[in-house]
Amino acid sequence: MFTLAYPSTPEEAVDRLARAAPGETAVLGGGTDLLLDVESGRTTPTELLSLRKLPWRYLRWERQSLVVGSTLPLRALEVDPKVRTQLPGLWEAIVDVGSPALRSRATLGGNIGRCSPVSDLLPILLALDAQVRIVGPNGRREVPVDAILQESRRTTLGSADLVEAVVVPAAAPCTYLWQRVQPVNDISQVGVATAYAPTPPHWRIAVGGIQPRARRLVEAEGLLRSARPSDFEAELAAQEAARRSTFVTDRRATESYRRRLVSVLVRRAIQRTLARVPPVAGGPSSSP
Amino acid sequence: MTDRPLKLVLNGTPRTFEEVPDAERLLDTIRWRAGLKGTKEGCRTGDCGACTVLVNGDPSLSCLTLAREVDGDAVTTVEGVTRETVGRAVVKAFEENGAVQCGYCTPGFVVALSGLLAGRSPPPSTEALLDGLEGNLCRCTGYAAIQRAVAAAREAVR
Amino acid sequence: MRFRTDAAPKAEGAVVYAPDLEAPGMLWAALVPSPVAHGRVVRLDLEPARRQPGVVAAVGAAEAVSLLPGGTGDGAAPVFPSPEILYHGQPVAAVAAETLGAARAAARAVELEVEPLPVVSGIEEVFPEWPTRVALPHPQVVGHVHARRGDVDGAFGAADLVHSETYRTPGVHQVALEPHACLAEVSGDTWRLRSSTQTPFGLRSDLAESLGIPADRLVVEGTWVGGGFGGKGGALIEPYALVLAAAAHRPVKLALTYAEEFQLGRTTLPSIIRLDTAVKGGTVTGRRVRLLLDSGASLPGRDFAVGYSMGFLLGPYRTDTFEIEGYAVRTHKPPFGPHRAPFAPQSVFALESHVDGLARRLGVEPLEFRRRNVWKEKDRTAYDQPVGPFGLDACLAAAERTLRDWRRGLPPDHGIGVGCGFWSTNAGEGGEARLELRPDGLVIYEGEREIGNGSVVRGLPTVAEKVLGLPASAIRVAYGDTAKAPFDSGVYGSRTLAALGQAVERASRALLATLASRLGAATSPTLELRDGHVTVVSGGRRVRLATLLTPEERTVGGLVAEGKFYAPAHRLDTSFVTDGQVFPYRDFTGGAHLAEVAVDRETGHVRVVRYAAFHDVGTAVDLALVRGQVEGGVVMGLGTALSEEMRWEPTGRLGNPDLLDYRLPRLRDVPPLQVEIIEGFAGAGPWGAKGMGEPPIIPVAAAVANAIADATGTRVHELPLTPERVARALKLL
Ligand SMILES: Cc1cc2nc3c(=O)[nH]c(=O)nc-3n(C[C@H](O)[C@H](O)[C@H](O)COP(=O)(O)OP(=O)(O)OC[C@H]3O[C@@H](n4cnc5c(N)ncnc54)[C@H](O)[C@@H]3O)c2cc1C
Ligand code: FES
Ligand code: FES
Repeated sequence: MFTLAYPSTPEEAVDRLARAAPGETAVLGGGTDLLLDVESGRTTPTELLSLRKLPWRYLRWERQSLVVGSTLPLRALEVDPKVRTQLPGLWEAIVDVGSPALRSRATLGGNIGRCSPVSDLLPILLALDAQVRIVGPNGRREVPVDAILQESRRTTLGSADLVEAVVVPAAAPCTYLWQRVQPVNDISQVGVATAYAPTPPHWRIAVGGIQPRARRLVEAEGLLRSARPSDFEAELAAQEAARRSTFVTDRRATESYRRRLVSVLVRRAIQRTLARVPPVAGGPSSSP
Repeated sequence: MTDRPLKLVLNGTPRTFEEVPDAERLLDTIRWRAGLKGTKEGCRTGDCGACTVLVNGDPSLSCLTLAREVDGDAVTTVEGVTRETVGRAVVKAFEENGAVQCGYCTPGFVVALSGLLAGRSPPPSTEALLDGLEGNLCRCTGYAAIQRAVAAAREAVR
Repeated sequence: MRFRTDAAPKAEGAVVYAPDLEAPGMLWAALVPSPVAHGRVVRLDLEPARRQPGVVAAVGAAEAVSLLPGGTGDGAAPVFPSPEILYHGQPVAAVAAETLGAARAAARAVELEVEPLPVVSGIEEVFPEWPTRVALPHPQVVGHVHARRGDVDGAFGAADLVHSETYRTPGVHQVALEPHACLAEVSGDTWRLRSSTQTPFGLRSDLAESLGIPADRLVVEGTWVGGGFGGKGGALIEPYALVLAAAAHRPVKLALTYAEEFQLGRTTLPSIIRLDTAVKGGTVTGRRVRLLLDSGASLPGRDFAVGYSMGFLLGPYRTDTFEIEGYAVRTHKPPFGPHRAPFAPQSVFALESHVDGLARRLGVEPLEFRRRNVWKEKDRTAYDQPVGPFGLDACLAAAERTLRDWRRGLPPDHGIGVGCGFWSTNAGEGGEARLELRPDGLVIYEGEREIGNGSVVRGLPTVAEKVLGLPASAIRVAYGDTAKAPFDSGVYGSRTLAALGQAVERASRALLATLASRLGAATSPTLELRDGHVTVVSGGRRVRLATLLTPEERTVGGLVAEGKFYAPAHRLDTSFVTDGQVFPYRDFTGGAHLAEVAVDRETGHVRVVRYAAFHDVGTAVDLALVRGQVEGGVVMGLGTALSEEMRWEPTGRLGNPDLLDYRLPRLRDVPPLQVEIIEGFAGAGPWGAKGMGEPPIIPVAAAVANAIADATGTRVHELPLTPERVARALKLL
């Protein structure tokens, strides 16, 4: 079994991680993933480094961006009225993670650290082009979330790197849609996030439930050349997204069904996002 | 780490627990150290909600919480919740609406619902309360009576 | 309205369930699971476990044999495999230690060497071609039923339409929220067991028989049950705890983890059902039913499920020309076990889908088609039993009105399905009741505790209340173990109120008769509570009970009366049965359900929009209880319909032993539910009551499947009706 360590500053935490032998110390966020992995024996750390004492339980707005401390429970994001109105797609994704009592422990840092292919948060973070603030042995840096994800339980984070915060640009209308066997509290078979970034105008599409990790589908994005794509364009993009995704068959769905779902959900997500694009002058307008 | 006693404000009373292993779950501290068995153990994997307690007022899953991670916090179990006015009203609503059958899920529901209702005036909408209970499983009632009880409890605490 | 005395204590967390049990000096147990689904134990070394800190006892097959009074135990089904392992996770040894952590660590330290043997993980491996003729005996067939009535070949030969389909159903688990737990203690020559069980007496005889412990030295105390649904009937974990307690000479507590609960549970197992119906001139003239039922590690001759299912596969329809044939197929899974209305929801899904499709083929409105063909009171069943008071047609008539209502303005891609079925209360062996009328109230002595449906805490007192006239507040239920409480078969088969209720009714009447004779009255008195005193009212006279008691009764506590109810034997002329056993049914009850669904035509996702259930309950002795059973059963049925499925891998390992991937309905998944009670078709229970624990789950999957067919014109032949399966049926992939 493991013991707990409670560093009181980020530097102390990083230092401790840097000195630990590989696989010996694991970072503990809310623990909703990690404790299950420890219980099942999938990982056998002798020490858990708790982030509880670090000053990272915050949510603030910096200019047009939402900045979320990595240890803030998801529940705090969910009940924030501004998150819900400014980032409806992010809110939709958050309330789909487990139950309220789970979300009062689960964190954004843990969701990124777990890098689950079926995560409900990673697609929307990708679609919103979220940036991740990292603190590590060489100080602080900010990288796109896309650059961090590798595969289930693997990220590009160094062994002494910690996610300190996630920066989510908030100006983009966005949507998160999923398909599950039972809608409530289930694991998503696929999840699709779309966002329209007005400056410079660009659509982003990201898909979860695919292998080896959630990812952007730039080829499909490229087919959406206007702010207001037609149903036909949306359909083409959706078909392209399905074609470009790599799926596996597992106990939750077969490969061909996942492909089908992506082709439907991408189109629907684009249409739902469109409905959220403000039609007023100054907002995104149709390009030729 | 292990030699430091664990402190909890358990159901309003400061309590100290000695020799708590770092790996111990809050669920086990409550049930086997504090002897409060009203908090039920179901799946231990976060899926059923039977183990729900309030941590600083928020419904939380005690099976996925290390006891030391809530050191110094206020932990309220079904025994504490049902001593308060809101908890009493919730129990009464469950009782009167036939929302208790085998009862194994009930403490989890009572704690979660009380947590959502306590100190909120006006209370959240019935729909919001039902959303708040989505993580609590019940295999007996089909949730119909529980939904009636939720509406009744909301009326009662208004 | 405060209608259940157990509700508030449960809601406050004040009720002790088996996982909560503690005893001075108690040890914790952990099981050592088999890593393979089929194999031979080559070497089992418990010493490494015994050397672990805190370990007090470690036992395997050899220890079980020496510790149990019966020596070898049940030779056919020993406590631990010796040497053949029959399913994945089967406990091969068990450990008791001072803490649960120590016990688990020690269980991992046990050294086990297993020679793997070929695994049969499912029916299809044994019978890839189906339907087929199976030459018997067959090494994988542990049960066979064949019967025929009428000129079946003639009916099929002369038919102008034959409707043929194959259906498949998966394994489904009871998933009571409370995992199995028990506490065992051996002191002197008494074996004591506290366990979460639906059947304390049944468990006692089960254990006595299989372990060789004389029944009078085995005392079982049932705890409050945190959900049973058939999963807490016979012995499951108790033998392990008893053997450990005997080895350790200390109390031992064993509680399953949820993963173990899924892996070891005796559940409904998969089936393949083939139905053929012959029709001539729009009338059904004959039916063939063939069933392959996965029976897991069931022993030959102990399978009842195939025979019991046959009645449900023929359904509540007039049929006198049929052939039924079924095989119990042995696979490497835990043995098939009862689960709320054992195998009826699966049978009815197949039959009612089939009937629905047939009606549509014949151009008859499906509900109307059922009304033409279901049993009426004067009819006889397929096995030629009289039907008797049976309200299914009345349920269908009520459903028809709702259906008409729902059809109005039905949105596109929505559909409405009907499903119906019958159930027959299983009275069990019987039951006895002991009542004690005291100066301040009545005590009902009981061996089994409430499992949730209210039949014990509320149903039985209601019976006494109605006979005696005492208010509910003056009636209390007291629980005892099997050494003290009167015998009863247990809480299953929807029997508690219908059967044990009659024992309570008889005991109550006996009380009144004694009082009448003491008063010298010709007619039965009634009772009332006045200022806290039980008062006997007879012919306008009021006498305090205390004055009517003998000195002895005053010291014992009160006037005692006993009532017994043993189910009358139901004889069935089985000359039409050529092999195996079919079962008579009794005390028929019917139910008809309506489901409205919305189908996502692009993804196959099905949402149940609203639901209505109509049930013939005989007489609703307690409306609130009946409603609770119907609502609970329907939602459990929605799980069977839409998402519940145990998925075994080819290795025989269960791939989804958790609630994350075995999906139960949750609060927000549930549609608005309308419950309608149909009375007037009296059952055999008190005041004509019929058991309602099981019937409500039966027609659900059928109603939902038929609603999907109504919405899309496409039928799905396999449960559960997951989005992917529906998508495939809709040819979306
Ligand atoms: C019942 C249940 C239901 C669930 N449902 C969903 C769902 O619907 N959708 C979904 O997406 N997820 C779901 N999850 C998974 C899980 O809750 C989420 O992934 C959650 O966001 C994890 O956060 P955490 O803080 O609990 O992570 P932890 O368990 O603490 O950590 C997870 C991983 O991230 C690492 N880590 C944690 N914090 C940091 C940090 N700041 N910097 C670097 N690494 C870090 C840890 O070392 C570990 O490897 C569910 C889990 C459960 C138990
Ligand atoms: S026991 Fe904690 S969620 Fe089930
Ligand atoms: S009352 Fe039994 S699980 Fe809810």
